[in-house]
Amino acid sequence: MKSTGKRDRLQDVHDIVSQCDRCGTCLPVCPLFGVKDVEAASARGKNNIARALAQGGLDATPDVLAAVNFCLLCRACVDTCPSKVKTDEAMMAVRQYFADATGGAGIKYKALGSVLKNRTMVKLASGALKVMKRVGINRLAPYGMAPSEFTREEYLARFAGPAALGAAAPASPATLSDNTKVAYFYGCGMKMMFPEAAKQTVAILSTLTEPKLVDNVCCGLPHLAHGQKEDFLALAKENIRLYAEADVVVSECASCSSMLKHTAQYLAGDPEWADRANAFSRKVMGFTEYLVKAGYKPRQKVDATITFHEPCHLGRGQGIKKQPRELLQAASNYVEMPGADTCCGGAGTFHMDYPEIAGVVLDKKRQNIEKTGAAIVVTECPVCLVQMAKAAEKSGKFRAMHISQVL
Amino acid sequence: MLNKEIKEKLRAIVGTEHVLDANLDRFGYSYDSSFVPLLPANKPDVVVRPRTTAEVAAVMALANEHSIPVTPRGAASGRTGGSIPLAGGISLALDRMTSIVEFDEKNMMVTVEAGVRTIDLYNFGAERGLFYPPDPASWKFSTIGGNIAENAGGMRAVKYGVTTNYVMGLEVVLADGTVIHTGGKAIKNVTGYDLTSLFTGSEGTLGVITKAILRLIPMPKLRNTLQLMFPSLDDACNTIHKMLQSGVIPAAAELMDKTCIQAVARHRKMDIDPAIEACVVIEIDADDTEALAKQSKQIEEIAKSFYVVEVRIAASPQEAEDIWAIRRGLSSAVGAMAPNRLGEDISVPRDAFPEIVRRIRGISEKYRLPIAVYGHAGDGNIHPSVLCDLSNEEEAARVHQAVDEIFAAALAVGGTLSGEHGIGITKRDYIVSALGEGGVRTLKAIKQALDPKGILNPGKIWN
Ligand SMILES: Cc1cc2nc3c(=O)[nH]c(=O)nc-3n(C[C@H](O)[C@H](O)[C@H](O)COP(=O)(O)OP(=O)(O)OC[C@H]3O[C@@H](n4cnc5c(N)ncnc54)[C@H](O)[C@@H]3O)c2cc1C
Ligand code: SF4
Ligand code: SF4
Repeated sequence: MKSTGKRDRLQDVHDIVSQCDRCGTCLPVCPLFGVKDVEAASARGKNNIARALAQGGLDATPDVLAAVNFCLLCRACVDTCPSKVKTDEAMMAVRQYFADATGGAGIKYKALGSVLKNRTMVKLASGALKVMKRVGINRLAPYGMAPSEFTREEYLARFAGPAALGAAAPASPATLSDNTKVAYFYGCGMKMMFPEAAKQTVAILSTLTEPKLVDNVCCGLPHLAHGQKEDFLALAKENIRLYAEADVVVSECASCSSMLKHTAQYLAGDPEWADRANAFSRKVMGFTEYLVKAGYKPRQKVDATITFHEPCHLGRGQGIKKQPRELLQAASNYVEMPGADTCCGGAGTFHMDYPEIAGVVLDKKRQNIEKTGAAIVVTECPVCLVQMAKAAEKSGKFRAMHISQVL
Repeated sequence: MLNKEIKEKLRAIVGTEHVLDANLDRFGYSYDSSFVPLLPANKPDVVVRPRTTAEVAAVMALANEHSIPVTPRGAASGRTGGSIPLAGGISLALDRMTSIVEFDEKNMMVTVEAGVRTIDLYNFGAERGLFYPPDPASWKFSTIGGNIAENAGGMRAVKYGVTTNYVMGLEVVLADGTVIHTGGKAIKNVTGYDLTSLFTGSEGTLGVITKAILRLIPMPKLRNTLQLMFPSLDDACNTIHKMLQSGVIPAAAELMDKTCIQAVARHRKMDIDPAIEACVVIEIDADDTEALAKQSKQIEEIAKSFYVVEVRIAASPQEAEDIWAIRRGLSSAVGAMAPNRLGEDISVPRDAFPEIVRRIRGISEKYRLPIAVYGHAGDGNIHPSVLCDLSNEEEAARVHQAVDEIFAAALAVGGTLSGEHGIGITKRDYIVSALGEGGVRTLKAIKQALDPKGILNPGKIWN
């Protein structure tokens, strides 16, 4: 994705979607097609709408934008596609095309984007989401729903009963060398909604290394996803600068780590930044990816039945599938849920744009969690955690936590 | 264009929600998996998604009364343009008819609605120890209705046959809305013409299939996989012929030529000896370990007598999976070799397999186009893929000539235009050379008798 002009954007789109031979392999895996089974809702449908747009067979009308917005960017289709058509990237590129053509992203995406772009605003929003409420976008923001957090303390008090396997495990023998400079990336979602969980992340990292805390800016994913590519690029460069000294960058938000790992591809055409971006993306690690590599042993094994919701940006986004499960097995009675890697419907702002559809997607997830009989569902991404918290509230049979709170 | 009144009537039949006429929705039902160009889009005027046979019948009666074209559609995974509504009108999407209506354990038969996906039927049987063998590679998303309408085959055809071998009876809505039932559960049935076979493979041009009675067989208990590498294509084919003659019938025997093998090697970053000219992947099944081992032994011995250079017998399900992954990844590996790929589907008598591959090689050289050849060697069904760049006009012209010659070659060795994908739009130009004037006239006479107004899937099979 090197080009910037409007026509070139469509060329970018075309380069991706012209690889789709309409075979239909992706039909059964798209969670949205599972809820709304008309062709235009499927990955095949959206790719071909995009292709017709790029080839001049469809005009850039609002229904086309609505169609490309109707995507969770969950990559389930990409994973199963024999030609590996990157539907998610194509959808983002079409959104960008619309933003350029209409003089910017939609108003709510812009409002959200500018909050997340601004360090102070993100900090102010911490916990209470005050700013969001003040500027009146709390219902529109992806994190607009302040979840009730189930803290690590409550968790241990509830489950560290007689069956728990003793006290904290001995200090973990880290295998990354002592000289490795590990830095923490504090994502906006964690900062604004789950600061308690974020504290646990830092506490765990501190048992392995001396994590460097950096006053980072947003990873830029919300901007990239909704046609604010210029903002995304500015944020990316700022983060690259801020982490120049670090050898490893760890984030417990799968969306952030995935975005940061993919940042290089968006700066590949920029001679000034390509190499630095490449070096940066290569040092990013997901939280559990880092923990397993560093040989971390969970602080305790608790007699709680835990299941794991695999964030799209973790499993398909980064291929991190084994690590969280391995750690959870050591920390609890782990049970795998059916369809653990199916998108929960959170997907950035999707649940605000299409609340009913997102609700049905989430309901399927809730039923799968209930099937396991687990008392806790954990995940590794704040957007998913909001969804899990909603499911937990509706169900009443389980609680939702971030993985760093139970390891 | 359909007028408002007709749309209102359609809504009254199937429910408002199931009549789609927004531009993007119509566009979504304008294509299938064939290489018929996406644009200009062949949009239907309206998409209608019935849930019951009665609704289908009411839609057909209305369409017939007003002479509105109707194109049935399953999952649009067809490779020849069958579900493309060439003449506009109604796209009749049957994918909401997904009930398994009846399971008759004693007769080992199920009755299903047309929109049931092949995989769901397979799983339904498997859970009860029964086997529905037809396995088009699209089985995870194609519908039974589409399978029957195309008489789809698959890798297991060599031992277990194709869709038609499992269709016992059909419920069909005729062009004027009449509902008929063909065949039935009796194994022997010669009451009147064999209409079940007539509708099977009729590509949506003679009637709308709404239900099917399908036969299941006991599920084989054990399976295993073998991979054989040969220094020549003839040796590979001879091995397969010899196996079949000696009564060793594999459940599947897939053959790939050198172009395919090297494509896979590149795609999966493996090294495969360039001296290998053909690879055969074989699946065997049996009810006990001895019988299974005996088959592997026999196959190995036959292959050795034809100079096989490598015999790999899967030692674990994982290894079997690894071997099949090569075959399954083939299509994308070949696809990755060029901007465009024209995949064809011809079928020849089994003994003509080496000859047709030689002829295709010749065509490949003559037109300077790489052609990858793979196929179901056990039954003579071949998929030559012409690798090309269609944006280059000069090359595109050569491609079309090459495809014409491939069809001519298939007919010359006693074969046919299509093994399993049907004729649809993409092969209709060749139908006369395959069936002769008299043959095509007979098809047209049947069509005229069943659909006098010509409203069902117009523009397909012949020009
Ligand atoms: C990746 C891939 C692999 C494939 N592999 C194979 C293979 O191995 N073997 C094989 O045989 N085919 C294969 N195909 C082709 C295709 O999947 C089959 O032809 C399949 O049977 C089509 O089913 P469908 O539900 O998608 O039908 P559609 O494509 O929707 O329709 C196909 C035809 O059937 C008609 N039709 C559909 N439903 C009905 C109905 N209820 N009543 C009357 N007419 C109807 C349509 O009008 C059309 O003419 C493959 C396709 C793809 C994309
Ligand atoms: S990315 Fe997810 S939601 Fe979007 S089309 Fe693919 S499978 Fe569907
Ligand atoms: S699986 Fe890939 S090639 Fe097939 S329809 Fe979906 S996006 Fe297109």
